[in-house]
Amino acid sequence: MKKLFFRNLGVTLLCLIIATALSFLFFHFGRGNSANIALIYILALILTALNTQGYLFGIFASLFCVAAVNVFFTYPFFKMDFSLDGYPVTFVGMLAISLITSTTTTRMKKQKAILEERDKKLAEADKERIRANLLRAISHDLRTPLTSIIGSSASFMEDYEELTEEDRLELVSNINEDAHWLLNMVENLLTVTRIQNDSGKVRKSLEVVEEVVGEAINRVRKRHPDLVVNVDMPEDFLMIPMDATLIEQVMINLLENAFLHSGSDAPVNLVIENQEDQVAFHIRDYGIGLDEAQIPYIFEGKYHSDNTDSYRGIGIGLSICKTIITAHDGTICASNHEKGAEFTFILPKEKETEDDA
Amino acid sequence: MTHKFTVLIIEDEKNILAFVGKVLKKHEYRVLCADNGSEGLNLIHSQCPDVILLDLGLPDMDGISIIREVRTWTSTPIIVISARSAEKEKVSALDLGADDYITKPFGTSELLARIRASLRHSNRLITDSTLYIRPYQSGGLCLDFSKRLLTIDGREIHLTPIEYKIVAFLAQNSGKVMTYASILSNVWGPYADDDNKILRVNMANIRRKLESDPAQPQYIFTEVGVGYRMKEDEFDTGDPAQG
Repeated sequence: MKKLFFRNLGVTLLCLIIATALSFLFFHFGRGNSANIALIYILALILTALNTQGYLFGIFASLFCVAAVNVFFTYPFFKMDFSLDGYPVTFVGMLAISLITSTTTTRMKKQKAILEERDKKLAEADKERIRANLLRAISHDLRTPLTSIIGSSASFMEDYEELTEEDRLELVSNINEDAHWLLNMVENLLTVTRIQNDSGKVRKSLEVVEEVVGEAINRVRKRHPDLVVNVDMPEDFLMIPMDATLIEQVMINLLENAFLHSGSDAPVNLVIENQEDQVAFHIRDYGIGLDEAQIPYIFEGKYHSDNTDSYRGIGIGLSICKTIITAHDGTICASNHEKGAEFTFILPKEKETEDDA
Repeated sequence: MTHKFTVLIIEDEKNILAFVGKVLKKHEYRVLCADNGSEGLNLIHSQCPDVILLDLGLPDMDGISIIREVRTWTSTPIIVISARSAEKEKVSALDLGADDYITKPFGTSELLARIRASLRHSNRLITDSTLYIRPYQSGGLCLDFSKRLLTIDGREIHLTPIEYKIVAFLAQNSGKVMTYASILSNVWGPYADDDNKILRVNMANIRRKLESDPAQPQYIFTEVGVGYRMKEDEFDTGDPAQG
């Protein structure tokens, strides 16, 4: 507040001093023509009012201008003389100019602030809407496995006597499967909260590529022991900056999709390429491939196949992959190769130094 | 063995308490339960359990402060139950003296393996020092501490002195996670640099020597952001060292 006051004061004084200096110059060379001098002061007045906040400085400046014209540039020089003809008119005129300019400026500034506020609110509302949509999609996705869990467990308890051993096992394994699905979803959602904390960026640290890959495969294999992954990676010791939990989640999602949705038991290939200033990860499956028409929208959480139910959640998983990779300044894309689908994501290496050891 | 090991579970979620309790009872452990920190501390003081399973998010007190308090007078193994994304929390719990952690949600086999590993290490110190001389064995890998010899499927693997120190340290603590800090101070001494890159470079070299596929290790696993864990020793006491 104080700072603002001094800034305003500074602007006001600067304008007035310059105006006074100019006026003296004109007065000397223009042989006492005070009409131009009044103009110069009016200009200074307008500039002051434009560049300061509130009315106070404008009024002060107009008082000063009237006094300065009176004292310096009208007869008798260097003396206040209130008996001058039209003096009140000059004073009122100057005051009016200053007040009008100040008012206009203040109003303009206020309007600008209101507009900015409105834009911010709109952006906020947009974000809120996206979040609400995501929440709706998720709640919908969560309801299905929950219904199955509640139904299966209730049936297990209520009809325990009538069920055969086989039925019971089936019910419990359904519960187990759905619970795992839910867990996967929740972990995906939790990763998103790690990103949104500070403006779409992540906290990176240098991680060894093979360690992160190893842990991701390990985690997927815990859920799907039948999954076989062939890893093809360079001999080099590769360290790249990343949030390991998030990149692991990307690999988990992609590997799991390859296993569950490719419609094939063939081993999944994970190829890591050490390029000049980035590292590329290719995840290739050998199954039915992607629906070409849907590839452009695949990361927008909208991938649907004819067999919708088996694809539940796949869209959210992929859109989360995209969010994570974008937050790492990397890129992700999907395509088909001759024998199946391929997902590629690229992460930049650390900038200053090459990590060779 | 007639004596049962006692496991104390400190966890505020009733369902988890019930499920872990059932599993452990079935596997011949004596189980004590506490659903808050102060009750847990009382049980530790009065019952002296053999293993403590500790959830860090308790209603009445911080789990970390329980570790601190317990470590002032006993080395009873503490296994921390924690959420996946909280690496910082895990590392600080381990550095304060927790023996291991298990990430929620966990399976029963994982839980039992952790308890077994912790019990084995705590008993080894007190009862049978000759166990240190017994070779470590897991799958095809065999590490003879007395000969400083590492073999895989009978084939000798050459390690540099630093690499040997790392592998030996992990093997002596097999089944337990070892933090970067603990490995660094054990291998490079207490004044080692905080930067763990040298450790990771060495680990990468070790992986290339030990593992057939370094990206899918069989012997030494990475816990990203925390440390390394070597596969549990197979405890086949009858098997003499090879080579």
